[in-house]
Amino acid sequence: MLDEVIKDIQRALFESDVNARLVKKLTENIKKTCKLDEIPSGVNKKKLIQKTIFDELIKMVDPGTEPWKPIKGKVNIVMFVGLQGSGKTTTCTKLAFYYQRKGFKVCLVCTDTFRAGAFDQLKQNATRAKIPFYGSYSETDPVQLAIDGVDKFKSEGFDLIIVDTSGRHKQEAELFAEMKQISDVVQPTNSIFVMDGTIGQAADGQAKAFKSTVDIGSIIITKMDGHAKGGGAISAVAATGSNIMYITFYLPKFNLLFSFIGTGEHIHDLEPFTPKSFIGKMMGMGDISGLIET
Amino acid sequence: FLSYFQNLTSQRVLKEEDLAPVLETLRNHLIDRNVAVDITGVLSESILKALVGKKIGTFSRVHTIVSTQMEQSIKKILTPSTATDVLRDINFVNKTENRPYSLVFVGVNGVGKSTNLSKVCFWLLQNKKKILVAACDTFRSGAVEQLRVHVRNLTSLCENLNLVGKVELFEKGYGKDSATIARDAISFAKNNEFDVVLVDTAGRMQDNEPLMRALAKLVTMNDPDKIVFVGEALVGNEAVDQLSKFNRALKDFSGLERPRQIDGIILTKFDTVDEKVGAALSMTYVTGKPVLFVGTGQTYTDLKKLNIKSIVCSLLGQ
Ligand SMILES: Nc1nc2c(ncn2[C@@H]2O[C@H](COP(=O)(O)OP(=O)(O)OP(=O)(O)O)[C@@H](O)[C@H]2O)c(=O)[nH]1
Ligand SMILES: Nc1nc2c(ncn2[C@@H]2O[C@H](COP(=O)(O)OP(=O)(O)OP(=O)(O)O)[C@@H](O)[C@H]2O)c(=O)[nH]1
Ligand SMILES: [Mg+2]
Ligand SMILES: [Mg+2]
Repeated sequence: MLDEVIKDIQRALFESDVNARLVKKLTENIKKTCKLDEIPSGVNKKKLIQKTIFDELIKMVDPGTEPWKPIKGKVNIVMFVGLQGSGKTTTCTKLAFYYQRKGFKVCLVCTDTFRAGAFDQLKQNATRAKIPFYGSYSETDPVQLAIDGVDKFKSEGFDLIIVDTSGRHKQEAELFAEMKQISDVVQPTNSIFVMDGTIGQAADGQAKAFKSTVDIGSIIITKMDGHAKGGGAISAVAATGSNIMYITFYLPKFNLLFSFIGTGEHIHDLEPFTPKSFIGKMMGMGDISGLIET
Repeated sequence: FLSYFQNLTSQRVLKEEDLAPVLETLRNHLIDRNVAVDITGVLSESILKALVGKKIGTFSRVHTIVSTQMEQSIKKILTPSTATDVLRDINFVNKTENRPYSLVFVGVNGVGKSTNLSKVCFWLLQNKKKILVAACDTFRSGAVEQLRVHVRNLTSLCENLNLVGKVELFEKGYGKDSATIARDAISFAKNNEFDVVLVDTAGRMQDNEPLMRALAKLVTMNDPDKIVFVGEALVGNEAVDQLSKFNRALKDFSGLERPRQIDGIILTKFDTVDEKVGAALSMTYVTGKPVLFVGTGQTYTDLKKLNIKSIVCSLLGQ
């Protein structure tokens, strides 16, 4: 009975792209904490196990502290990093727009000199949202662009400067070195790792590599308007806090915070991250509301 | 000592109990390599069926037998039934029907459609083709400029490398109906003796009905020679849902009795996943269609043929 229920839940987790190692850990823990023999009859065992796993996962993505927020009147510099095509440029504008409406003096800096049309993309987005931007068609050095853009907007008294960067992956050391350089000159208040919600088992390794190169403070999961459950992304968070994970199963208060999920291609499609509904959806639990109340 | 000899000569019949744990281990291994859960299930079922009741020598290891069988099954899935010689198809259509060959690149957002379209373009240029790139992503900011830059780069590459191929951009800006632009591009290509039309489309989520309808319309209106699904190697279990729903939309929204389906796959960002190459298996299993190319980087030469042997190695290796 227990095995069957666990198999079911494992499957749901696997299907949501939760990392294999994490699923194993969760399973072991369930076997340890859920003493099924001691549960009085009448209690729905499957629900109980689900709830235990649910709580574990919530703990993982909800460190219990508030996500990073820019402070008005200060110079807040945010750098966006992530894999190719994960949604950085799109999300930059969304975030800028979000804070512009909250009264911040917001601007965008394009340092992507690599992807064809990258500056046009940011420029068109920014123009539509009436957000000041900086970039160049001729400068080919992203580090120089970062310096120039940030300096310019700093001197003009902007309080939220958002820096977009090219997509990159851990296998290419030069790209990571470049990211480090940009980070060194920009000195971001917060670095945001943008992750595609459809990512599978490669999430873990990539996220770890990004985290160990620059100081990532927040994660944004994109493309959650589709069918994706985001388990790969969740695993990536666990992965980045993995040293601690090995010591105690109760996942630690790592300092990565989910701040937003992108839910569409349009500028308004940005929602605050709510751990409970996210994990509920991920575990394929239709009746999570009942679960949450208990 | 005696029993040792007895064992050597005796045989053993494989039972489900022998196989199940080994299969379970292998299944989890494949899941870790990013094969979609459903497909690992199908695989292990079929292997179970093939092996239960088989007689084996006492000292044969069940693990080895299962692995061998698994390897065969994977190879079979990855080996397409249809031909993958795109160049031959193009030549054939150019010569016998005296018209340009058209390929439409479709897929979800950000997977690498436009970039890999440009890589395919470079490959065709090297093969002396005259190519028209149709900018039918009229939605995403910078999409048209992105292609313009690629066409400009490729044109100067051609000059530097002394290639006889030629490439031009066909664009009508943003906000227009993509199906109509594709149609106009194809007829422009026909009138101006282009060999190939490469149609870029906007990324779309498989559940977004209006956008999926628009794609079906583009396909129905233009009946392209190849519908190429671009999927990234990074994608997890979503691969299954993406492909089946793209196919379903092409079927349901076409209004045709014999609707078109995805003809082939370009598997991108292969350079970002190390040994976690399972998406290759998921995508070919769902469609039964070949991986035409593998994208292995962000430059024009980063387009390779699928190496089935190395995929199997990555999937089953430690
Ligand atoms: N449906 C959907 N699409 C999204 C979302 N976020 C981004 N996109 C789309 O994903 C694609 C890639 O987004 P970009 O913002 O260009 O990604 P990027 O990370 O800047 O890409 P590179 O700079 O090439 O690394 C575009 O088609 C976006 O419109 C989202 O939340 N939902
Ligand atoms: N590492 C790597 N990056 C790739 C590969 N193919 C494409 N990319 C990158 O992925 C990002 C997105 O590529 P695009 O070609 O713009 O993707 P798309 O599918 O056209 O995106 P939308 O039109 O916005 O849906 C870019 O940064 C590309 O350079 C590949 O094979 N390997
Ligand atoms: Mg970008
Ligand atoms: Mg594109």
